[in-house]
Amino acid sequence: MTHPAPLLRAAPPRIAALAPPLAGMAALLAGWALLAVALADSRLIAGPGQVAGWIAGHPGLVARSLAVTLGNAAAGFLAGNLAALLLAGLALVWPRLSGLVTGLALVVFCLPLIATGPILRVLLGPGAGPQIVLAALAVYYTTLIPLLTGLRATPSGWLDLVHSYGRGRWSELVHVRARAALPYLFAGLQIAAPAAFLGAMVGEFTGAERGMGVLTIRFLRAMDVPALWAIALLAAAVSMAVYAGIGLIGRLTLRDRPPVILAPPRAAVAGGWREAAQAGLVVLAVLALWWGAMELAGLNAFFAKRPRDVAEALFWAPDAAQMRAALLAALAETAVFLLPGYLAGLALGAGLAMALVLAPGLAAVVMPVAVALRSIPIVTTAPLVVLFLGRGAAGTITLVAVMVFFPTLVACLHGLRQAPGQVLDVFRTYAAGSLRQLVHVRIPAMLPALFAAARMAVPAAILAVTVVEWLTTGRGLGSLMALSASVSDYDMLWAAVVVVTAISALCYAAAALVERRILAIYAPEQARR
Amino acid sequence: MAAETGPPVSGPPVSGPPDPAPPARITCVGLAKTYPGGVQALRPIDVTFAEGQTTALVGPSGCGKSTLLRLVAGLEQPSAGEVRIAGLPPAGQARQGALAVAFQDPSLLPWLSVRGNVALARKLARQPADPVLVEDLIGLVGLDGFADTRPAALSGGMRQRAAIARALATRPRILLLDEPFGAVDELTRQQLARDLPPLWQPRGTTTLLVTHSVPEAVMLSDRVLVLSPRPARIMADIAVPLQRPRGAALPESAAFRAIAAQVTAALALSDAENTPLAAQ
Repeated sequence: MTHPAPLLRAAPPRIAALAPPLAGMAALLAGWALLAVALADSRLIAGPGQVAGWIAGHPGLVARSLAVTLGNAAAGFLAGNLAALLLAGLALVWPRLSGLVTGLALVVFCLPLIATGPILRVLLGPGAGPQIVLAALAVYYTTLIPLLTGLRATPSGWLDLVHSYGRGRWSELVHVRARAALPYLFAGLQIAAPAAFLGAMVGEFTGAERGMGVLTIRFLRAMDVPALWAIALLAAAVSMAVYAGIGLIGRLTLRDRPPVILAPPRAAVAGGWREAAQAGLVVLAVLALWWGAMELAGLNAFFAKRPRDVAEALFWAPDAAQMRAALLAALAETAVFLLPGYLAGLALGAGLAMALVLAPGLAAVVMPVAVALRSIPIVTTAPLVVLFLGRGAAGTITLVAVMVFFPTLVACLHGLRQAPGQVLDVFRTYAAGSLRQLVHVRIPAMLPALFAAARMAVPAAILAVTVVEWLTTGRGLGSLMALSASVSDYDMLWAAVVVVTAISALCYAAAALVERRILAIYAPEQARR
Repeated sequence: MAAETGPPVSGPPVSGPPDPAPPARITCVGLAKTYPGGVQALRPIDVTFAEGQTTALVGPSGCGKSTLLRLVAGLEQPSAGEVRIAGLPPAGQARQGALAVAFQDPSLLPWLSVRGNVALARKLARQPADPVLVEDLIGLVGLDGFADTRPAALSGGMRQRAAIARALATRPRILLLDEPFGAVDELTRQQLARDLPPLWQPRGTTTLLVTHSVPEAVMLSDRVLVLSPRPARIMADIAVPLQRPRGAALPESAAFRAIAAQVTAALALSDAENTPLAAQ
């Protein structure tokens, strides 16, 4: 590019840049306060004053619970990221393994955390183990994928340079790849930190002794509205703080903005049968790991089901038909909530992003708020949404939609800026205004980001819907899992985990298939990579 | 990248009805640009680009020649002075579909075919669709048989040809080219510089060309302006009284070489202002 318009390089005055996000946050707070006053009689919403009062009134309880959850989250964050680093290194040293590594990561990403909790609880016994493992599982994927992207994003010329001095893979890793991957690592860690907090809290939902999640369950039963609000907002604030903190460390270390990672890189397009073989290999590896872990630990088959046990329960056992029927019925109930929420979240995210492009002033206010809210594990606010909209369809659908909405909005806003080259300048010389730019350039250029968001939102939406069902509604898969956990029906619990993971992974793969076709047309340079 | 093998384009200019608007003159009066960060890109200059002439702007990297082009295109607002194109500001001409640009980056829409990209220009300029003209242009830039191809499947030189076809699709009065052949290999570059100008020069399109290449500047233009390092001012104004159409053999001629030497000398003088030696 010969003319980087100096306009873009000039650093904006700091105060002026801070004003719109602050205005956005202030508007959010004011809206909350107004709503609290307006709905004071409904006893559904606690205002800023009430929440602050509740926290001030229970400093010990808040500090202790927060410390427990943060500790678990930190331990899981560490473990999950270490695992991601090791596996990324493995994939780098043996490139043939990278398909397997990313495939396994996807399976972990698709695990219904909420049902994995009680299984971990019986496997690991009492204590913080399950929360820590869930936090680790929650961060593993979010770190691994950007890391792999970064390690591969190295321009081949740099590697040739290392080789031309007669150095090998190790120098390549130390001098080039590690440095080139750093921005990606930070981008991953930034998303991983709130995810770890979410994992720890979900673990606590499923029967821990202490922590923020335990408080949530307790106050939900007691319908203690100010306490529920306080816990949810504290969780949100902590998530935003760690997200911002890691972002800050990244900026100080790298001196530039971490890259925006919307979605994992797609492997080079292999033939159909090779991909099928790859998928089969991943399934085999999962089954082998599962079986091996249970056998090595010598766990009792009553609660530590092996792949064979689950297959038997689903297909050969005398009551297999009944079990399948129960699972299918629950699936159908869940789908009724999941699909409208998922689609509404995508549509609203893309729609608002487009509206914001037409009103750039508003975007400066909304965007930082959206980025901040995206870092909140929406699931931790599930009790609030349910409080508001009831235990029926509206609450569940809304929660799923919100869960999908924020990542979609951020991804689409990013995508809308991806106009090829200087094509917007070309448009301006034809006096084509922002509406025509939107229709002819920005929306088509946004499609890859939208479909990447749609793909990544599949497991997120499933997590949201199962958590709400687990906590409140008494129907669907989440409820079935909760019921099975409480009556120690481990056949059903394991079967539900397997089925949900499989469905989640299949939907993800289907979304990826659509996305690949979109990319081939709308972003050929990405599809070829 | 291999050199282009498209047929030479030197036939008659684009067919169709005569141009609705006569050639336009560009007048810059006291035109200056300082960016908000305090970078002064252009010191006040007065210059006129005559109707139907092609003017090449050359100068050291980052000297502000692209800024001058963008000011004429209406893509930047001047800090002082004004641009008038046939009496109107650039925005007014843009609304009438009188402007067209092509950049070093072809900036084609990847989801549209070559035909779609070329036709889109007319749509954007609110001109009636003209499939015949679009097909003509695609053929004239040497992309016969590639009308339905998407840009990703084209070579760099072919994409530049498509971008030029798009720029010509609205029959612009003003054509603004910012290093349009900058990203292609030398052989293709020479071929494009020879093939494409006959498409607009006979039609009296007033053309501004930013380039780094002295031979390209001389080959394409009627006049070469050599700019100083930033903030730009005009160091030399060199006429290029060579006959058109200009063939492949022209660069070998004494007249061509004399002008090229003149431009190179002015450029060297301009570049010297950049170096510490100039201070002594």
